[in-house]
Amino acid sequence: MKLEEVLRALYNEDVEVVLIGGGAMQLQGSAYTTEDLDFCYARTKQNMARLARALAPYHPRLRGDPEGLPFHFDASTIERGSNFTLETDLGALDFLGHVAGFTDYDAVKNASETIRIFGIECQVLSLAGLIRAKEAAGRKKDLEAVIELKGLLQIRKKTKLK
Amino acid sequence: MTPKQRKLAYELISNPPTGSDIAAAKEYGIDLTLLVENLALTPTERALKLIEGANSLRLLRLAGSAHRAKL
Repeated sequence: MKLEEVLRALYNEDVEVVLIGGGAMQLQGSAYTTEDLDFCYARTKQNMARLARALAPYHPRLRGDPEGLPFHFDASTIERGSNFTLETDLGALDFLGHVAGFTDYDAVKNASETIRIFGIECQVLSLAGLIRAKEAAGRKKDLEAVIELKGLLQIRKKTKLK
Repeated sequence: MTPKQRKLAYELISNPPTGSDIAAAKEYGIDLTLLVENLALTPTERALKLIEGANSLRLLRLAGSAHRAKL
């Protein structure tokens, strides 16, 4: 995983994204480990074009699809789809237009906080937001994560740690 | 994390209030010491740990695939 390069590529193109999922969990203090990075992105025409431009140098392709299958991660592809699980030269990246528990990107952004990583200001889903998303997703692994996240949230509140 | 915060955090996870979310996590088997130690890190340190963990997971997965392919 090349987290710094991913954040820089998105930042350089001004892509509106919020880091969600396991990456956000770990940045918020969870002990969860993940191999991919999940982002929620704004589905405006301008942002979808920016997202396509930001990833183009890193050869995005659909994860798990056979080699050589034609796929172009451009603005029109993004507009026709919503959630993309990609393999790129920077690692596995998932871009979600919709996140369980939230109506749209703005709702996800409202539940996020700005965290400075590698000198880059990033939007990262808050602990409360992560709990909401995991509860809404409702799979066994999500509900197990909720137990940890709620414990973590309470530790943070009582110790005033960030 | 100040020494006072660390002491408070370890007191909390050692004896969490009955019925609390911390108690529920402990009862479920979550290693709460890992959470406290993560909270002692800066965001960039947590990001570096995320990268290290992801790369380790990837190597384990690849080693597992290679092993299965030999069977």
